[in-house]
Order: sequence, then C-alpha cells, then structure tokens
Amino acid sequence: MAAGTSSNVHLHDIPDVILSNIFSLETETRTRNAMSLVCLKWLLLERSTRKSLTLRGNIRNLFLLPTCFRAVTHLDLSFLSPWGYPLLDSFSNPLVLAQFLRHAFPSVVSLIAYVRNPLTLHLLASQWPNLQHVKLVRWHQLWPAAPVGSDLVPLFDHCPMLSSLDVSHFYCWTEDLPPVIQAYPSIATSLSHLNILKHDSSTDGFKSHQLLSITACCPNLRKLLATCIFNPRFIGFISDQTLLTLALNCPLLSLLHLADSTSMSNVRPNLIEDASISFATLGDVFSKLPLLEELVLDVCHNVKHTWPALELLNTKCPMLKSLRLGQFQGICRGIASPPDGVALCQGLESLSIKNCTDLTDKALIAISHGCHRLSKFEVLGCNQLTRKGMWEFTHNLRKTLVDVKISYCKNLNAVSSLQALEPIRDRIVKLHIDCVWASIIGEEKSLKNWSKLKYLSLWIAVGELLNPLSLSGLNGCPSLEEIQIKIEGDCRDQPKPFMDAFGLSSLTCYPNLTRMILDCSGVTGYALTAPVGHTDLSLWERFFLSGIQDSTLNELNYWTAQDVDVNQRCLFLPAAGLLAQCGSLRKLFIHGTANEHLMMFLLGNPTLRDVQLREDYYPAPDNDTITEMRVGSCCRFEDALNSSSRHVPD
Amino acid sequence: MANTLLEALNVRVVGSGDRILVLAHGFGTDQSVWQRILPFFTPNYRVILYDLVCAGSVNPDYFDSTRYDTLDAFVDDLLNILKALGVHRCAYVGHSVSAMIGILASIRCPQLFSKLILIGASPRFLNDENYHGGFELGEIEEVFSAMEANYEAWVNGFAPVLVGADVPTAVREFSRTLFNMRPDISLFVSRTIFNSDLRGELGKVRVPCCVIQTAKDVSVPASVAEYLKTRLGGRTTVEILRTEGHLPHLTAPVLLAQVLRRALPR
Repeated sequence: MAAGTSSNVHLHDIPDVILSNIFSLETETRTRNAMSLVCLKWLLLERSTRKSLTLRGNIRNLFLLPTCFRAVTHLDLSFLSPWGYPLLDSFSNPLVLAQFLRHAFPSVVSLIAYVRNPLTLHLLASQWPNLQHVKLVRWHQLWPAAPVGSDLVPLFDHCPMLSSLDVSHFYCWTEDLPPVIQAYPSIATSLSHLNILKHDSSTDGFKSHQLLSITACCPNLRKLLATCIFNPRFIGFISDQTLLTLALNCPLLSLLHLADSTSMSNVRPNLIEDASISFATLGDVFSKLPLLEELVLDVCHNVKHTWPALELLNTKCPMLKSLRLGQFQGICRGIASPPDGVALCQGLESLSIKNCTDLTDKALIAISHGCHRLSKFEVLGCNQLTRKGMWEFTHNLRKTLVDVKISYCKNLNAVSSLQALEPIRDRIVKLHIDCVWASIIGEEKSLKNWSKLKYLSLWIAVGELLNPLSLSGLNGCPSLEEIQIKIEGDCRDQPKPFMDAFGLSSLTCYPNLTRMILDCSGVTGYALTAPVGHTDLSLWERFFLSGIQDSTLNELNYWTAQDVDVNQRCLFLPAAGLLAQCGSLRKLFIHGTANEHLMMFLLGNPTLRDVQLREDYYPAPDNDTITEMRVGSCCRFEDALNSSSRHVPD
Repeated sequence: MANTLLEALNVRVVGSGDRILVLAHGFGTDQSVWQRILPFFTPNYRVILYDLVCAGSVNPDYFDSTRYDTLDAFVDDLLNILKALGVHRCAYVGHSVSAMIGILASIRCPQLFSKLILIGASPRFLNDENYHGGFELGEIEEVFSAMEANYEAWVNGFAPVLVGADVPTAVREFSRTLFNMRPDISLFVSRTIFNSDLRGELGKVRVPCCVIQTAKDVSVPASVAEYLKTRLGGRTTVEILRTEGHLPHLTAPVLLAQVLRRALPR
C-alpha cells in the first residue's frame, strides 16, 4: 500500500485471485511465516500458495507432521534428523508413516529424499505415483549384498510420470543405472532431465558404453549432466565416436555437462595426458546439437587446437549462453585482428576457462571484445595471463560483468587480481580470489569501495593468515552478505602456526556479513595420532576459528578438517567452546561428527536455533563404526535445543 | 537394568567365532579407537566392544560421581556387561586405564578371563620412593588446578596449552585426549586415576598376562613394563612394540594386531 495516497483502498479489496498471485511470488520462508501470522485470511492464503517445503525435525516426531501445507508440490525430506538416518526403518509400521506423509502432502510432484535402502524408496514412491522430479541423496556406503540396480527400481516401478532424476549426491555404482533405464522404456523416453554427476571421489564415472546405452534409451533428454572417463588409458574412455553418438542420440539437448571423474578432486592440470577427442569431431558434435544453451566439457585432459570447433559453436548453437571448458588448448589465438575461436561466440553470457595453458593476454582481450555480453567469467590455472591483460578484459566488459572467479593463475595473486578488477569495482556482485599474499606492505591505504559485492569466495593455503585480505584492497564492502572460505593443505608437517589466530576477526570490517561457509575439509592432519612434537588438529581448529566469537554471523556451515589415516572428521573442543560464544549465530551446520558433550556446549549459545550434523561426504560414518553422535545423542541434543526453557530472542 | 546398561555403554558384539574377545578402550577415547584393529579379529572371534561411562560418547547423565570415585565401579560395569551377555570365559584386551580395570576384574573373577592383554598399563602413575611412575604430583596438580580455576579457559581448550608450555611432555601427551570428555567428568576421572595405586593388587592376579608397551610412550616409562612382569601373580610376558606413542591401536594397528594374535590363546 503506497504511503502518501489518501485513497481508502485496502489490501483486502484486491480480488482473491490476484492476492493469491501476489502471495505466490514470495519465496522467502521467514517472510511467509510472518505473513501467515497476520490474520486468518492471510494464513489460509499463505498455506494455499506455499509450494515448497523442507522438513526439519526429528524422525521420531513424524506423527507431529503438519497437515496444513496441502498445496506443497516440492518436498525435501533429506534434512530430517538424525541426518542420514534410514527414514522409515525405526518404525514398526513404516507403511502407515508413509501413508501419513502422503496424507499431509497430497500434491507432491517433486521430491528430495535421503534414501539408505530400497525399502524407503519403495514406500515413498508408491505413495506419490505422480512424481515428476526426484533427487536422491545418499553418502553412506551401500548394503554389500544389494543386487545391481535395486536402489532405483522401486522409483521407476511406481512413478510412470518421472521426467527428471538427479542422483548426483546419491552414492551408487555406475552399473546400477543403465539396466534400470533399459528396463523401463516408457519412462526413459519421457525423461527430460538426468543428472548423473558423481560428487564422491571414489567412483570412476560412467564408461562410454554405459553413457551411450543410457542416451540411446532417452532420446528426449533436454538436460544431461554426467561424470565420465576421458583418460584414454582407461577402459571405456570417452572418444570422438562416443561424443558423436551421444549427440545423435539426444538432439534436443539444451544443457550438456560432461565432467571427467578427476575434476572434483584434482585441480592441477594433467598436462601430460591428452584426451582422445579431436576438434573436428567437436565441430560435428556441435552441429548436431542446435538447441544447446549451456555446455560444460570439463575434460581434465588436453584437447588441442580447438578454435575451429569453437568458431563452429557460434554458428551451429545460436542459443548458447553458458560455456565451461576444462583443459581446452587454443580456444582463442588472438593473433590477428578479426576475432577467432571462442571470441566469436557473441551470445555468451557466462564463460569459464580452466587450465588453458596457452591463453595469452592478447587472446583474453580478444575474447572481451568478441563476447561483449559476458556477465560471468571464471579463469582457473591459466598461467600466461597477467594483471594488465585481466584489467583490459574487465575494462572492456565493465558494463556487463558482475561475477568473476580468478583461481590458481600464477601471475594473479590476491592483490593483482583485485587491481585487475578495478574497472568493475562498483558493479561486481560475486567474486572469488585465491589468498596468495605477495609483499603487500604499503599497497592499499585508501578505502576501496566494492559497493555491490554480495558474495565473496576465497581459497587459502593452510598456515596462511586471513588478515591481509582487508589490507590488499577489499576493505570497503558494505553489501557483503556471504563469504565462503576454503582452506586446503596438509598440516601434518607444518610447524605450529606462529600466530594465535587465522584472522576471522578481521571480517568484522564487513558490517552486513551474515552467512559463512568455512570449508576445512581439504585440511588433513593428525586427530589423535600426532607423534610427539607435532600439532593435533584440535590446535589447528582453534587457530582457524579464533575470532569467530566476535562476528555477527547468523548462519555458519563448518566443514571440519580430517585425519585421513583414521577416516575421522570431527569437531574438537576449541570449536565447541568458540562457537558457543558466537552471540548472533542462529543456524549452525557442521559437516563432520561430534561428541555429545561437545554439542551440549553449544546450548550455551542463546541465539542458536537450528543445529545439525551433516556428514555429506563419502563415506558418511555409519552409527555402527563410530560412536560420536549416535542416534540417542542426537535426539537428546535436539530435545535440549528445542526445549521451552531456552528463550531464543527472536 | 541389564539392558539399560548395555544401551547406556553402547555395548556392541561383532564378528563370529566360538572364542570371545573383549576390547576395552582407555582414557579419553571411545570404542571407535579399535576400528582399525577390529577387522583382524572379527573373522575368528566374537568381539565385545563398549564405552567407559566417562567416554565422550556416553550420556553424561549416567556418570554418578559418588559411585565412580574409585576404579571398582568401572570393574562392576565390566562384570555386569559380561554377565548380561552371558559370557563365561573370554580374553580381555585393555588399554591404559582399562588395563587396570581388567587386572582388578580378574582378581574378582579369575575363571572369567583366559588371558589379559594390557596395553600401555601402569599400576601407579605418580612417582614414589624407588618407584618411577612417570609423573610428579606437582606437575599433575598444575593441570588440575588450571582446569578447576579457569573454566572458561578450559572450555576454550587453553588450559593444557598454557600449562603444557611449562609441564613435561608426559603431561602434555596425557592431556591430549583429556578434552574428549566433559570437563567435570574428565577432571574427576583424572583424579581417580592418579590417586589409584594398584601395586599391592598385582600379586593377586592368577590369570596369564601379556604386557604390551611401545618403545617410547611418554605417559608410561619403560621400567613399568618390567615392574609389571615381576609383580603380576600369573605367568606374564612382555612385548615391546617397535613404535612410539600411547595409542598404538591408532598409530600402528597392523603391528599391534600381529602382536595381539600371537599373545591370544589358541
């Protein structure tokens, strides 16, 4: 309602249909909760327009399931507590519970569920035969005696309208999928979205014949994301013929994402190995996929002389908006004045270049002239690029570029990256840099205002400090809301850090920072097994987290460091003590395990209201092999967290 | 009562075989510390694992400080577990404080144990005239008073580091696993352990024993192994592991497993 008008029109004078449309546009949960408290009419309107719901709560309280959200079409069951627990196993009559879920949410067509065993999927899928989109999650190890494909059969059996399947966070064998797809041809032909990426580093990726057998059964695929094997030394590697046949099988693809199985873990370029893919075939492949809008080929092995193929990309795939290439050499030579290679792809809005070792400054500048609509740009491992070239690039694209990532490029450390981004300092919204500090003493005294920067992502080697960040040119970020810090390295041989703290307290210079992702999963060290004289991970944990008590964070996702020898990723005492003192923290998600009494420390934090241990890494520890956070501990902790004697301020 | 005990102490029975093996963890860890040793024995033994009531994985409400002021209550727990599981005879492997618990249990019920394997065991940690236990009372008291006086610092994990700069490696080593338990329980059990003196009980043991010691364990001096060998009442052997540290089941599981296999009765 506009202030200053003197009309007597009230919100309730608007016809219900329009009001309902207005309500449908609001997606933020806390706002919706507030709206539903205004009056009965708004409560009913809000409930009838809420389409998406994530259930959080303890499984044993499932009988308390709310039944007022009957309009929900997208339901996420993967965050129930205890995280990763077999959903219906603990009940003596699981079918009744499944039916209760159906009764509470009759309109669900999109489901995300953590599925430990086929029985759960069978029970859930049979309740919602109209399911169209399903995402399965599992980080636990498989039941050893499970027959091939048994995980997925219940889904295909019960849901004939399935059109979208995402198993990228679902640990299963690659052999499981093709036979199931072949056994249900009617579903296969209507499948339009298939995500079979593998995020755990232990599986190899789909072999050529598996990929082809899947795509042969699914001619109507519009989106395909798959992890496969590009290394020509391995059996079943992706060859020219594979790509060509794939394009022939699925001509309607608008999103094609093929990543090598080493792409998640291995960032250093594999310069020695060449992929068995030629630019000529690539050109043919592109001409068979005219509807392509987004293409990712993260090959992790060299693909040479690719500029002719990329020039064809422009003519054959006119709708292409987003391109990500890994280890493509010669994408743009930039030597003559007419643009060549990828610089001809004028429609591109998002470009990500990884490990293109021959990319020069000149070529980069040519790309900035040619792809003049770029709003998102990522460059990783391109060691010939310098600050000057990068500066020219951002200067040319200063009207459109808002999202930049610069990572492990030899000549672009933190300071030079920030200097190269000077032309878009007042426009950039999302940024990633590696915190590689050179001699930065006396570099930036003036206040650099990054007025629109909302999301900042950093990579930093273990043992380095974070404090130089504000000194290197990122000292004025009034809009910064979210920061992601990834720390990586082996601290087993590192000397004990000479400073007390990594530098999280330096983040208080960002007044609006409310969300943090602190990812120490790449840090390996000794949990209890440190030889005499070496430092335990608990001391490193104190080093990393010191200073967090003074921050204004509302939400923290903390990935603990790991001891790979004993396969342990757990929270130690320093983290529990420091996080308990973080006075504004509302939500805390720990990606690791923790002892019960350490979790109980967190209850001392008056504002905490949502805490969960999420072991979303492979292999997720089973309650049988690890005694930290057993089911009983989890339930006691949550009871204490949610008990009425804790008065959370808001 | 029996069932709540089995549940409360996270008792697990794994493996298959006609012989029974009990693996008992030490101070500051829980049964997961045996995870790398387990695969060597589950094919041939039924292995019983449990958590001490002071372990971080057990509901702290079960720790009754009036009951657990000596090691006898821990011995009660062990014997009750074995009774509840219907075990009549077993081999027992105990680390650090569990080794002492095993010794006391075998004195009470000698027929229950076919063999005692003691890893990192010590009948008394404090030095005495003519006895070298490894710790001086003054050193230990420094750690305890730091724990008691400054709860805040303790919670932040500063206590042992601040103290550790000045105290010998033995205390620093011992305090490494200190934080895996709730602070008040940890302090209480530490005092119990440092107040205990089992030298007089050793002669009453009738069960054959194997004392396993690492080549360099900062918490247990080498002379203690010899002391145990001469004083234990039953037939006793000593095995020195060619590795360092107080937690050989974590740091050198393969080596330890071989020695355990040789030490266990056929």
